[in-house]
Amino acid sequence: MSMDYDVLVVGSGIGGMESALKLGDMGYKVLVVEKEASVGGRMILLSKVFPTLDCASCISTPKMAATIHHPNLTVLTYSEVQGIRRDAAGRFHAKVRQKARYVDEVACTGCQQCETACTVAVPDQFNADLVARRAAYIAFPQAVPKKAVIDRQGSSPCTFACPAGIEAHGYVSLIRSGEYEKAHRLVLDATPLVGTLGRACYAPCEADCTRGSLEGTLPIRRLKRFISDRHAETGADLGIDVAEPNGRRVAVVGSGPAGLTAAWQLARKGYAVRILEAAPEPGGFLRLAIPSYRLPTEVVERDIDNVRALGVEIVTNTPVRDLAALKAEGYDAVLVATGTPRSTDLGVPGEDRLGVLGGPEFLRKVKLGQPVDVAGRRVVVVGGGNVAMDAARVALRLGAASVTVAYRRGRFEMPAHHVEADDAEKEGVRFSFQVAPKEVEGDASGAVSGLRCLRMVLGEPDASGRRRPEPIPGSEFVLPCEVIIGAIGMTPDTAAFASQVGVERRGTLRADPKTLQTDVPYIFAAGDVVNGATDITRAVGEGRRAAHMIDRWLTAGTMDGFDLRLPVVDKAQVLARQQQYTLRPPTPEGVTLSAAPLDFSEVEAPLSEQEAHEAAGRCMDCGVCSGCHECVNVCPVDGCIDLNARDRESEVEVGAVVVSTGYKLFAADLKPQYGFGKYRNVITGMQMDRLLAPTRPFNTILRPGDGKVPERIAYVMCTGSRDETVDNPLCSKFCCMYSIKQNQLIMGALPLADVTVHYMDIRAAGKRYDEFYEQSKSMGANYIKGRVAKITEKEDGNLVLRYEDIESGGQLVEAEYDLVVLAVGVQPNRDAARLFVGEELAEDPYYYVAEPDEDLNPGLTSIPGVFVAGAASGAKDIVDSILHAGAAAAQAAAHLERTQAKAKVPA
Amino acid sequence: MTDERRIGVYICHCGGNISDYVDVKRVVEAVQGEPGVIVARDTIFACADASQQEMEEDIVKHHLDGLVVASCSPKLHTLTFRGVARRAGINPYQYTQVNIREQDSWTHTDNPAGATHKAISLVKSGIARTRLTEPLEPLVVETTQRALVIGAGIAGLRAAIGLADVGLEVFLVERERELGGWVGRFGAIYPHGRNGRDLIASLVDEVRKRSSITVFTNAELMAKSGSFGNYVAAIRINTDLPELIHVEVGSIIVATGFDSYQPEAGEYGYGIDGVVTLPEFKALVDGANGSLTYHGRPVRTIAYIYCVGSRQPGANEYCSRYCCAATTHAALEVAALDGQVHQYHLYRDIRTYGKYELMYTESRKRGSVYMKFPEDAPPEVSRDAAGRLTVTTRDLLTEGQELAIPTDLVVLVTGMVPRKNEELMSLLKVPVGTDGFFNEIHPKLRPVETVVDGVLIAGACQGPKNSAESVASGLAAVTQSAAILKKGVAELDPLVATVDADACTWCDKCIGACPYSAIEQVEVGGRQVATISPATCKGCGGCVPVCPEDAIDLRGYTDAQIRAAIDSMLEEPVA
Repeated sequence: MSMDYDVLVVGSGIGGMESALKLGDMGYKVLVVEKEASVGGRMILLSKVFPTLDCASCISTPKMAATIHHPNLTVLTYSEVQGIRRDAAGRFHAKVRQKARYVDEVACTGCQQCETACTVAVPDQFNADLVARRAAYIAFPQAVPKKAVIDRQGSSPCTFACPAGIEAHGYVSLIRSGEYEKAHRLVLDATPLVGTLGRACYAPCEADCTRGSLEGTLPIRRLKRFISDRHAETGADLGIDVAEPNGRRVAVVGSGPAGLTAAWQLARKGYAVRILEAAPEPGGFLRLAIPSYRLPTEVVERDIDNVRALGVEIVTNTPVRDLAALKAEGYDAVLVATGTPRSTDLGVPGEDRLGVLGGPEFLRKVKLGQPVDVAGRRVVVVGGGNVAMDAARVALRLGAASVTVAYRRGRFEMPAHHVEADDAEKEGVRFSFQVAPKEVEGDASGAVSGLRCLRMVLGEPDASGRRRPEPIPGSEFVLPCEVIIGAIGMTPDTAAFASQVGVERRGTLRADPKTLQTDVPYIFAAGDVVNGATDITRAVGEGRRAAHMIDRWLTAGTMDGFDLRLPVVDKAQVLARQQQYTLRPPTPEGVTLSAAPLDFSEVEAPLSEQEAHEAAGRCMDCGVCSGCHECVNVCPVDGCIDLNARDRESEVEVGAVVVSTGYKLFAADLKPQYGFGKYRNVITGMQMDRLLAPTRPFNTILRPGDGKVPERIAYVMCTGSRDETVDNPLCSKFCCMYSIKQNQLIMGALPLADVTVHYMDIRAAGKRYDEFYEQSKSMGANYIKGRVAKITEKEDGNLVLRYEDIESGGQLVEAEYDLVVLAVGVQPNRDAARLFVGEELAEDPYYYVAEPDEDLNPGLTSIPGVFVAGAASGAKDIVDSILHAGAAAAQAAAHLERTQAKAKVPA
Repeated sequence: MTDERRIGVYICHCGGNISDYVDVKRVVEAVQGEPGVIVARDTIFACADASQQEMEEDIVKHHLDGLVVASCSPKLHTLTFRGVARRAGINPYQYTQVNIREQDSWTHTDNPAGATHKAISLVKSGIARTRLTEPLEPLVVETTQRALVIGAGIAGLRAAIGLADVGLEVFLVERERELGGWVGRFGAIYPHGRNGRDLIASLVDEVRKRSSITVFTNAELMAKSGSFGNYVAAIRINTDLPELIHVEVGSIIVATGFDSYQPEAGEYGYGIDGVVTLPEFKALVDGANGSLTYHGRPVRTIAYIYCVGSRQPGANEYCSRYCCAATTHAALEVAALDGQVHQYHLYRDIRTYGKYELMYTESRKRGSVYMKFPEDAPPEVSRDAAGRLTVTTRDLLTEGQELAIPTDLVVLVTGMVPRKNEELMSLLKVPVGTDGFFNEIHPKLRPVETVVDGVLIAGACQGPKNSAESVASGLAAVTQSAAILKKGVAELDPLVATVDADACTWCDKCIGACPYSAIEQVEVGGRQVATISPATCKGCGGCVPVCPEDAIDLRGYTDAQIRAAIDSMLEEPVA
């Protein structure tokens, strides 16, 4: 949809508001686009303004309110202008992207409950990073509009990495807030298998944790175990919302992670669900394969009880052969989630000898308490996957005389997680790499006596990217053993379904990867039975997807809307948010291994509450919003917060554009000799303005390092200005004056404090400015000419300034202060030039928007019909910005009068 | 009767500006039971949009008919909260602003208990006044779509063009014979080195192209009558046969510029041959033909003394803003003429702000030497017995060394002073500041507006500015004119004085008390009485107390309201 305005004003700082208001008064229709959540720009954040010492809030707020209430102004906050293009007729077409606020701007009452409930704190840009704000926030108390925004910069890498779709960042931030039960509920929102995943998951989240590039990843998986155990200990209710029964029935075949998760999700949506399980116990691989030292049976049972608690019926010892029969029994849909229960044969002669077992079969027997004869025997496990590691370690625990893993490639190529292989080795498992079985040798009784193997050499990489093993001729040898466990792969058991649904060559079911629907519409398939052997998280994710799709299919909606993740955030940008990070040592590993273990007790210790709290505290809140949903839960207006909202784009056509994108402040850490970002008591002028403002964060002037009220305060003028070493030869114009203003405010607030200003020239050029400077001197501020060379920090946080005292003979002096304020200047905001496509908005040599005819036509830019207002064209204080914005408005109005036939003057 | 009123009262914390010293909650409690008060609340920022919305909701929900906000000065937020009242359906003039910040919390930072007590009194008094308010309607006047520009320097010329370009008719009045003011006399000017005469010529050309601009040279504003939106200006054109014409205009832009500071004889050697002011030097440089000469002699050395006539305690205390940049620019011009000229700059602070810094840097690269002199020991200029011109100074940049600089020329870097124009000032009634320049309403947010509605100030008459800045302020004045005139109508406050014709005995005392010539004598029913033009009256109230018959009352501040406000304040016992 295209909407027409006379003028587009980009930016709503004091310059943008002035231009827009005056153009509106003249009768033009104006669209104001502001990228922040409130209009007002920087002025509203200041304490007072020079030289009148008016309260900045008090004189900004009427302008801000006027801007959004003006009948001729339309204001879009939290929005960005992209790609302004001028057409042949000289009119402009612009895309406006309204960034998702995730809060309904109309419905929001500004009550701030979301802000209170939010579990994420990030540096508050509206307080110059002196304090934190929440991810759900209202920009500042006087924000216009006073509506909340949820800062979702993207999916956090941990959350994005989770195949199960668990809000990893969300539960970590809830644990950090001490909300263990809420954290547990957040995981339950994805899957009932909280305890299981807390132990047996391979935690792809941890591999992607941004903290991993600092001191080490957060123990995200163990945090999940912590909340699960905690929940079990307290015996709390699940606290999960379940819809009213909807009258529909779904049969789930198989009770592994995919089936259990699907059943759980369907039950929550009001379906009557029955799980049909072939084995005597439910849980699939969780219950019947993963060894108890990794995943105790009672934990799996606890998780399965979650599913039962929602009314899901689990029937064991019930293999399903006929899926159509289920339909006939009255199920509206059937989900096949039978996994990969069969071992792949070794495919070598002698495989039928006594003492040769499949890996899953071996593990299942052990889990069911059935006898396996490995005690005192030599065991060879063939394969390099996780099942092989499990089998080897279980064999050790059953008292095998020795356990050797034979794998045809090298250690690096093993599909098992490296930690599993390492742990197996630490427990005494031996490895024999680059060997492939050739034949099972046996004695006369038919029992195994050894495994004849061939040595392999690794050739070129194959399709999997791993180097292909090739036999070395004549390298045969025998591994003597009595037991051989074949763990080279697993396959589904789907022969019975072949007549009803499509089955692939390797036995997997054919299903649409997005909808998980098979060739038969009411039959869905999920998990390893579709994909072949993967892992628990993937199965859980598929189970969730299947439940979602079955529901969509049955409720006649389109089969979409499952994966609503935002794109993952860029880790480099996350790390760049702060100049430095305090060292937060990683949580020590909790696994204790002993050589030759003989019991099945858990090898990994739980996290204590303190450890969990500290571990969660290391989270860097990469995506900012953690997805903990606390805001959604507390918001008193139903449907007001929607975390699945998305940016909206619209097109506008306008007759003129006013660019009032303002300036950037110099990044003070670019002057390392002043120690900003390193010395906590070195702050910027903007930070001091925040310390002095009526909405000040600490209600007094204090130094950030230790909260001490400073007695000796130094100003370092021209930080980043008039300085070729940072490529800025320009003067920033307003730093002298804001510093003088702050000097007076400090002397008013702290009558005993000494204020010293180290300056080059005091540039009090403007109406009543020099008088203001003289007043400051007479109040007792001390002005010393000479640039500060270096600042060093003492142990007590005090700062030593080394400078030349020019007026007292030019000697080098060192002086100690409690607090140092760097009077940072301006930098061009190059976003202005990026607004345009098709032609260039010319910049001056210092990257400010150029005014080619500044002498006679201030505000005119290189593009006809585009005008610049305020500091976007160079450093300006408020007065100069107001005048310049007024000039830009006159220019824009003249342009509109020239180009638009009819003047749009309201009656 | 008073019990029938339904008043909402809001006490503002102003962040901590008020609540750090005034116990706001106590104030709310103390006024809750006042007659007519239906709602009383505190608010962190009354002016915040969300607070305004809350008030509007309260007004609608509780059917309020009066509003009191106790916050800051009425200068800041009267219009804000009148807007709240209007949007919610209350007559805006049934709103009262009580000032508990400038007049209370900021004044009594040492006595929170007293400040709280005072706030209670002030708020009660505001409530008392509000109980007696009556709905008033603003005066709506049609505005004339024409503007008058006084002064045809660079700001005035550019303003005239700007006004014409937004569709307004313009009368441009210049006292001199030529258009162009100061800039029209200059050669190359900073920051872009363009020729001042050329700039003016191009503007004059643009003016001539626009039929909607009528130019009067040799002309002066003689009188101004009428009121906002419809002023009548009497312009005298001083030709051989002086002519007085009257034009109707909606707004007036005053762009009368500045005078250059003229040093006293002897001030920094002024009067000695070879000691010149900045404009004199500029003319010298502009007129240089190949090389710089003074009285026929080549100039080999120049000493500039900055801040002459500016930043002088007890005299012109202000900084003239433009002179540092103008001088560095002139020094660059000299260097371009002859790179061998020695140039010494004796300064206090070099104020080449913003991008002008580049000129300062460049001038140093081209050999200019800068020396900082102590504020209490300015340089001295003399001609010695041998007739050599010498400047002696102390240079703080070289350990305070005493230096004697023999020089060919001493340039006194003279600043700007307000243009002497007593008649114009008195007829415009625009106030001037302590520096003598015209005063704006608010130096930050309303720099071109004056307390006289529709009379705007642009360029250096408001304060020192360079030419580009003057042009910007001229255009800002265009914008302000267009913003008030293009609607075609303007609303004026109805808070004006009215005469009870029955009580008036026409003693004419009120006429003498009115600074705005708003009162006239008329005949009503055969009797001579006073009448007050509501469009001209500014509501100052000066006529009210002088009337011996109590026949005059001020709307919005009636005697009854003021009495009630005072009585209410006195009811509160002093703690």
